[in-house]
Amino acid sequence: MKTRKAIALLMAPVLGTLSLGACTAAGPEETNTSIDQDWSQAEPITVDVYDGLANYMGIQGGWFGKLVKDKFNMELNIIAPNVAGGGDTLYNTRVAGGDLGDLIVVDKGQQLDELVEGGLLLDASPYYESMEFLPDYDPAVQKLNDGKEGIYAFPTQVSSIKPTESSEGVDPTFGPFLRWDYYAEAGYPEIGTLEDLLPVLATMQDAHPTADNGKPTYAISLFKDWDGNMMVTAKQPATLYGYDEMGFVLAKADGSDYQSIIDSDSEYVRALRFYFEANQMGLVDPESTTQNYDTMFSKYQSGQVLLSWWPWLGQSAYNTEQNMAAGKGFELVPMQDQEIFSYGAEVYGGKQIFGIGSGAEDPARLAAFIDWLYSPEGVNSSASETMGAAGPEGLTWEVVEGEPQLSEFGNKAILQGGADVPAEWGGGAYKDGVSTLNVSAVLPIDVNPETDFPYSYKYWPSYLETVANPLKEDWSEHMGGAATTMDYLKDNGQLIVAPGSSYAAPTDEAEVEAIRNQVKASIVEHSWKMVFAKDEAEFESLLAALQETAEGLGVEQVLEVDMANAKAQNEARESVAKEFG
Amino acid sequence: MGLLQLTRGNRGETRRVSVSAFLVVAPFLVLVFLFSYLPLLGWVTALYDYKPALGLGRSEFVGLQWFEMLVSSPTQLQQIGQVMANTLAMSFLGIATSLLPVFFAIFLNEVRASWFRNAVQTLTTLPNFISWVLVYMIAFSLFSTSGLVNTTLHDWGLITIPMKFLDSDQHVWLTMLAWSLWKGLGWGAIMYLAAISGIDPTLYESARIDGANRFQLMRHITFPQLMPTYVVLLLLSIANILNNGMEQYYVFQNAFNKEHIQVLDLYVYNVGITGNSISLATALSMLKSVISVALLVAANAIAKRARGTSIL
Repeated sequence: MKTRKAIALLMAPVLGTLSLGACTAAGPEETNTSIDQDWSQAEPITVDVYDGLANYMGIQGGWFGKLVKDKFNMELNIIAPNVAGGGDTLYNTRVAGGDLGDLIVVDKGQQLDELVEGGLLLDASPYYESMEFLPDYDPAVQKLNDGKEGIYAFPTQVSSIKPTESSEGVDPTFGPFLRWDYYAEAGYPEIGTLEDLLPVLATMQDAHPTADNGKPTYAISLFKDWDGNMMVTAKQPATLYGYDEMGFVLAKADGSDYQSIIDSDSEYVRALRFYFEANQMGLVDPESTTQNYDTMFSKYQSGQVLLSWWPWLGQSAYNTEQNMAAGKGFELVPMQDQEIFSYGAEVYGGKQIFGIGSGAEDPARLAAFIDWLYSPEGVNSSASETMGAAGPEGLTWEVVEGEPQLSEFGNKAILQGGADVPAEWGGGAYKDGVSTLNVSAVLPIDVNPETDFPYSYKYWPSYLETVANPLKEDWSEHMGGAATTMDYLKDNGQLIVAPGSSYAAPTDEAEVEAIRNQVKASIVEHSWKMVFAKDEAEFESLLAALQETAEGLGVEQVLEVDMANAKAQNEARESVAKEFG
Repeated sequence: MGLLQLTRGNRGETRRVSVSAFLVVAPFLVLVFLFSYLPLLGWVTALYDYKPALGLGRSEFVGLQWFEMLVSSPTQLQQIGQVMANTLAMSFLGIATSLLPVFFAIFLNEVRASWFRNAVQTLTTLPNFISWVLVYMIAFSLFSTSGLVNTTLHDWGLITIPMKFLDSDQHVWLTMLAWSLWKGLGWGAIMYLAAISGIDPTLYESARIDGANRFQLMRHITFPQLMPTYVVLLLLSIANILNNGMEQYYVFQNAFNKEHIQVLDLYVYNVGITGNSISLATALSMLKSVISVALLVAANAIAKRARGTSIL
């Protein structure tokens, strides 16, 4: 009897631990569903923001932190899986614990669906009724929550621009950007197609074997941090011919072509061959295999790399005021046969969504905060800086004679490498105070109803006047007088816009997902080996090995799904283009 | 004494003693239960399509689907085969070099200058306390394409293009062995140094009287005296043959050496955590238990034949 009791006593904590796993946090009592009140007087709180886009982890500080604090008496504790690393580990452990965060920024599609099903998101419909700014985008909100019993998610990057128009502003997302000053030295050679870049890059690298800091210069530098379905740097050349990925399928923006990336004649394999040949010519940075994005970025900053597939890499790292004044910097060098992929404006919102966690302490205040992000003030101060967010009115910009223009402080802080914010705005460096949410509720190229000009300062007439510099002038002269990259591409018919359909691929079946993950790993592994293969024969045998392994793992099954998804996406694009275009 | 009491005492007393004896071992039973048996409940994950956001209760039950998937295609089997080959190869290399700390201890013990002996011992023990992440940082700054070694060789004009030490598939098993030896040699020798100081000095004395020189003392006294300790440690390491950990291989892995560096633990991590297929990874990790049981049965059979006793 006693023994049994003793065992029972010993078992109790064990069972207790077991049953803990079954517990989920219960939501707080809801008393007031109106969000319309003065939150600055409310109890101070700190909210956990799980943000799939953030590149910063910790408490939001600086001027944006102060703005949120003043308006909502709330501090944002940003939790960033991008910083934590390790893929979905952080997401999985947090959802398994039953609490992802109070404010949540995740992908729509699978993540959103499972969070709703798992009861981790709050139904915000009671708060939605009293919102002020979001109802302007009601069709997008309704479309996003279609088929769900309530309103669980709010769309990001909403826009009232036509879906057939590019969403990207003055710079495309993708494009071949070269060090224009070196390209000019080489005599502005014409580039017919992708492979023609190689001899030009070789000439440029030979002429400048070292950068200003004395370190060797390489035409191409690669990194592995963002490798997913494929080696991310090898996907980029395909985007210059109008393709984007859907799983293992490269789908052309206009639905005219679909390729399996592992086919020998796919654009992806073509890009791998391009890098392979570049490496044979000594154009690829040997540190590519081991470095991360940050290391590579600093190489761009010090001028050690000559080619960038993205304006937001090469230009943002190297085109400082000082360099551009000296005529140095990255500019688009068009290939004659290019047809650059461009994301159309998403009438129904972008890839990510805002949601309120079911365990949130004060959901009404979070709803008010989300609503504010869609207000002119919210968009200006929270939208992503790389897309041209101007910052808070009165600090960085002002309206002069009916036209918005960057103030003296704004010029210094945004265009000339930074400035310290006055104490009444929160102090600290301007760049350190930028919103770390890194997500734009409204597309920055949308028109601000208060000024009737786009939110993005890059579109303001006053900005275009101030940024004239020798680099831009030389580029423009050789580009037939084009003012911006986007103008050039549009005028020359080298842009292909995929209408913004807000399509999200459905959740994979369990088995397909498992096969996909195994094939992914194999593709990435072989891709890197192929780029650094020692000769043509090794390249070909690695390609054959990749195709054999992928087939053996069952890639056919995954391709079938991806192909169907790509076609469904195209149908969605066509129908949205018909409806709004 | 306790045993005597148990057999001789009356029944009530026996029960009281056995209860208190049980209470003495109970904490350890609880620990064994908590850390060795309770986690086995997690195996049930292998029967579901587990999604953390839904929890096990709402995830779909798929039966033996994952197991079927593992054995259904030759490519899968070949991948698992490669992983097992890596696991066993690196474990056997580790066991094969397990005599090195013995020799290291014996030779170190012969050093007369105590300041030198202490310095060597401290310097060789230190790496054990450096985490693998930091070891990789050291490896990286020495052996990366722009690391110390490549830069030096380049400056001396011995090479023109950097040698690939880290991102190459050449001799992965051996380089991994070298790193773990560098890290563990000094630490592994500590136990033997302690054992050496416990050897009866009279053995040395009588051997010296018999005219044994220094090397003969090492060969015929120290070495045999260390063998019992060595055999115990060897058996323990054989029991851990599949547990070669993953930290070392995790930090050193890259696309180029992946094929030969993926040991079972790392493979399970890559499939489950990196690849987000938690259920499939669970099914894979059960493989480890299957093989462990097979090894145990084999070891038991050998022990039975050799010593006539069995542990099962």
